[in-house]
Amino acid sequence: MEKLSYDAVVVGGGLAGLMTAYVVASSGFKVAVISKVFPTRSHSAAAEGGIAAYIPGNSDPNDDPDYMTYDTVKGGDYLVDQDAAELLSQKSGEIVNLMERWGALFNRQPDGRVAVRYFGGQTYPRTRFVGDKTGMALLHTTFEQTSGLGVDFYNEWFALDLVKDGEAIRGVVAMEMKSMNPYLFQSRAVVLATGGMGMMYKHTTNSYINTGDGYAMALRVGASIKDPEFVQFHPTALYPSDILISEAARGEGGVLRNNKGERFMTKYAPHKLDLAPRDVVSRAIITEIREGRGFPGGYVHLDLTHLGENYIKERLSLAIEAAENFAGVNPINEPIPVRPAQHYYMGGVDVDTNGANPEMPGLFAAGEVACVSVHGANRLGSNSLLETLVFGRETGYTVVEFLKRTGERSSSVQEEAERIVKEAYQFVKSESGVHFGEIQETMREIMWDKVGVFRDEEGLKEAISKLRELRSGVSKMYVRDRSKVYNTEFFNALELRNMMDLAVVISRAALDRKESRGAHYRNDYPKRDDVNWLKHTLAYLRGENVEIAYKPVRITRWKPEERVY
Amino acid sequence: MEAGGKGVLKMVEQREVKVRVKRFDTEKGNWWAEYKLVVDWYTPMTEVLRRIKVEIDPTLSYRAACHMGVCGSCSMKINGKPRLACKTRAIELLNQTGDEEIVVEPMDYFPTVKDLVVDMSDFYSRMFKVKPRLHPAREVMEGKAEHRLKPEDQRTLWKFGQCIWCGLCVSACPAIEDQDFLGPAAQAKGFRFLADPRDTLTEERAKLLIDSAWRCTYCYQCFEVCPRDIEPVEAVKKTRAMSSLYKGRSEVVRVGVRHSEAVAESIASTGKIMEALVYTKGYGASQAVKDMIFLLASGRGKYLLVKETSVKNIEEVKKIVGGAT
Amino acid sequence: MKVAYYPGCATHGFARDIDVATKKVAEVLGLELVEVEDWNCCGGGFLDEKDEVAFVSINLRNLSTVERMGMKKMVTPCSVCLHSARKSEVVYKEDKYLRREVDSRLRGTQVSYKGEATAEHLVWVLLRDVGLERLKAQVKKPLKGLRVGAYYGCQMLRPQKYLGFEEPSRPKSMEQLIAVTGATPVTFSQATSCCGFPLLGSNEYMGLKLAYKVLEGAKHAGADLMAHPCSLCHLQLDMTQEKVRYTFKLQWRLPALYIAQLIGLSFGFSPDELQVPKGVTEVLESKGLA
Repeated sequence: MEKLSYDAVVVGGGLAGLMTAYVVASSGFKVAVISKVFPTRSHSAAAEGGIAAYIPGNSDPNDDPDYMTYDTVKGGDYLVDQDAAELLSQKSGEIVNLMERWGALFNRQPDGRVAVRYFGGQTYPRTRFVGDKTGMALLHTTFEQTSGLGVDFYNEWFALDLVKDGEAIRGVVAMEMKSMNPYLFQSRAVVLATGGMGMMYKHTTNSYINTGDGYAMALRVGASIKDPEFVQFHPTALYPSDILISEAARGEGGVLRNNKGERFMTKYAPHKLDLAPRDVVSRAIITEIREGRGFPGGYVHLDLTHLGENYIKERLSLAIEAAENFAGVNPINEPIPVRPAQHYYMGGVDVDTNGANPEMPGLFAAGEVACVSVHGANRLGSNSLLETLVFGRETGYTVVEFLKRTGERSSSVQEEAERIVKEAYQFVKSESGVHFGEIQETMREIMWDKVGVFRDEEGLKEAISKLRELRSGVSKMYVRDRSKVYNTEFFNALELRNMMDLAVVISRAALDRKESRGAHYRNDYPKRDDVNWLKHTLAYLRGENVEIAYKPVRITRWKPEERVY
Repeated sequence: MEAGGKGVLKMVEQREVKVRVKRFDTEKGNWWAEYKLVVDWYTPMTEVLRRIKVEIDPTLSYRAACHMGVCGSCSMKINGKPRLACKTRAIELLNQTGDEEIVVEPMDYFPTVKDLVVDMSDFYSRMFKVKPRLHPAREVMEGKAEHRLKPEDQRTLWKFGQCIWCGLCVSACPAIEDQDFLGPAAQAKGFRFLADPRDTLTEERAKLLIDSAWRCTYCYQCFEVCPRDIEPVEAVKKTRAMSSLYKGRSEVVRVGVRHSEAVAESIASTGKIMEALVYTKGYGASQAVKDMIFLLASGRGKYLLVKETSVKNIEEVKKIVGGAT
Repeated sequence: MKVAYYPGCATHGFARDIDVATKKVAEVLGLELVEVEDWNCCGGGFLDEKDEVAFVSINLRNLSTVERMGMKKMVTPCSVCLHSARKSEVVYKEDKYLRREVDSRLRGTQVSYKGEATAEHLVWVLLRDVGLERLKAQVKKPLKGLRVGAYYGCQMLRPQKYLGFEEPSRPKSMEQLIAVTGATPVTFSQATSCCGFPLLGSNEYMGLKLAYKVLEGAKHAGADLMAHPCSLCHLQLDMTQEKVRYTFKLQWRLPALYIAQLIGLSFGFSPDELQVPKGVTEVLESKGLA
């Protein structure tokens, strides 16, 4: 197997991966970015509403980074590591200014400064935006700048597994999708920036490529996933396509109504109403539907009709486009049909605020794949784009320091790399059996039904048992496509392997946590229990078994309070 | 039945559709595969392809990611038209074209890798050729100075800056075979930076983009197929309007600018385009004399003698066009 | 039926035969063409590359005149004139910043466009307002056996946002009009490709190459003649065909005529009356249709 040598390898070409690569390459190190798609296709492009930032001199005069931190901590139902939230808020202005200098075309105020608007859970408006395509704009801007730096891009290369030698990470094995040739990328640092896992759920706003590859690679190499039970469901996904209707629609004044035309959020969040955090609104919508106040098919209305044509066209053009193209509805004079769908994963590869995994030297993670934890039990809107850039940058700095003080290791990892390739081929070597689609669709249903917005012991136990069964079926998968060029069926099967590894971890952690906090809601344990559960879950996958450990939450200034909106 | 006000959604019309896909692999070459599926009003082509893969034939290869028209992965030709599969609804397509089946093929122009996956290297190299990144002044890049952007500039730049690199415009462009023509996407992307008041690479950009801009044939294919309404041909027009930025003119720029000026002058002085004069001004008298031969051979020489009248209210026309000359 | 008639500079210039044929056909069909008073150039598809505001403004001048003449439809035989006018209508309505500039440029002139008049192609009017039945009723001399390439060009079709009469990748209008004359429409793959005329303004060789491809495509598909809907395609495909033949060393000539000329022939007008392009008469004779 051919070997390529780099100082650092970044797996994933979205915002976090590109930002990390930019920082490390700018410091003179040799960096490779491995992405299974051309970087601008990354899911970062789908983010719509904006990026939250406190910019001194360009924020609400009453606002303050501490308010931003407080909003984040409370939004995360106090599971947030508060030093991480503080860092996020403090660096937010810097990051937005950087993006602006790099040419990101933020909407402007009349005097030429970057404009601002409200988002869910914010005390003061602090979201900066580029129409409602902020993610796409920032992704392109970051890619533009990074691609001018001499970073080696391996686009449409699929990462199979991390290479470990003892306890240190030595690199990653990846396959060029076009030629199907495997390569060993040897490096002192590997940064996982592979994004989310929405495809594990039947209804998700995520791209088809979000198959949790990074989480699984981390698990397989012995690293832990922190807070795996926390899955965010976005309240307003378009019915029936699950395309995201940005929170910005509510931020700009959109209102949720049930089949009686009532603004039902008055019952669930009397102060913040439709701009309460996502878990609150998602549960509200599902409850309304379950109690018969939804529309046939299972959705409610998002009403923008009172906002006026020009306003909607200027601020929410993507919402109009999505509603018209995918649901046949014109938001200017009709309400949009929406329902919750999986949207973001708060859980992730365990890292500290600096982006390094505390147990495995050489392993770093940034972006959605990482759990710092800055979002705790629930993420606030417009914090995800911010997270990718702030922690992408911090992780970059950390990697630079790491590279400066870590020498090359001499032992060969060729054998380990060969083993990884063999294992990847092994489980798709059968001549007959079941193909990935069958297993995948069943898994997606189970996750949605039993490990979804509302959970309970019986459902979770059933899920765990079924998922274990499916996971063992994965080893008997067969790939019909024998093509040696761009064989997507083969890669889809590997993606399924990754999703199944994570699925058993999530369902087990959800069963263990006997409380409700943020996005994790137990019908049988509906209250938050700080006495027993104010701690992070750490989950390890050892063969067939999921092992659970715990880690304290870092609390600096904000003591847990009752979370009312 | 119309959509939603009272919660009654569009007819959830279920229909069986026949999908024919042009497949390809390096061993077999091209062949056609046929699939049958039941879809409803909402089902987009990306979902059709996904279901073919997951329920019927897992060997089908295609690119798709965001399913909402922002990533540019799923460009292909559907019923003869270059489109994004995610923004094309199966039933709507059949209603529009009146066809009985849906024909899916890879995009034109780019070489096929497997099935619907094409090699996009040519497209990427065009984009990178225009240095698609802002080069602000040093002090700004270092955070020592601020260069604000006016709201109207943000609007114009964003219109052309939201290209998702899908490649559809290039696949449909007839002028693309001209080696010196960058193609619609790169022109639009390049214009976004050329026209950005904060960029410092203007001279270099002008040279590349302006020469290329005069090679577009204004066929509006790019405008028609662009899924993000970027209207690349308008970027070309706006780039041509900035020709004065490019000092050392290439042939096409020289002729193009002269011709454009001749058109404006003719309209300002007579209200109409007097073709013979305009052509002569653009290409020069000696070229015009040579082309006389072809004119006479075509039998249209007789129209040379016909004098078209100028506009009577020429003052009004002059006032309107005045600034252009 | 009475409509405003906008010939455009080419139709009154080197493509004057189009003007002649259009008027003759219109008369037979009872379509009264009233020439737009003191009309000015539409910009030729070139003015907007110099000054977009001037471009929109001069087109609105014509439309404003049509409104003053008490009419709503401005019919033109030239696709480029059509495109220019319709583009101006759309961008004036949708782009409020451009509209402000256009209004400012028009201040002090008599131009006052209310948004009621609109430009239409002769082809659209023939199909939609006159109708195939009435057309057929006037065919005295069906052009049996004549194979005519159905060419559309660009400006009458793209973009749908400005034009909207038919789907650009599946147009039918030319085939329908050709069929009504009794001739056999020949569909060929370059039917909606660009003839290259706009490139004559800057990169002539490429323009000639595009024309060559169109002519070759029609010839290869078995056409005896090619019919098209645009005065500028007329110049490119007929007048410039000599240069194309010379540049690409073509042994054949494929006469290209305007659709109204083809229709006129089927109505019984003689080739000379319609001032048909070079080579058409010979082709008709060879088919026994002269």
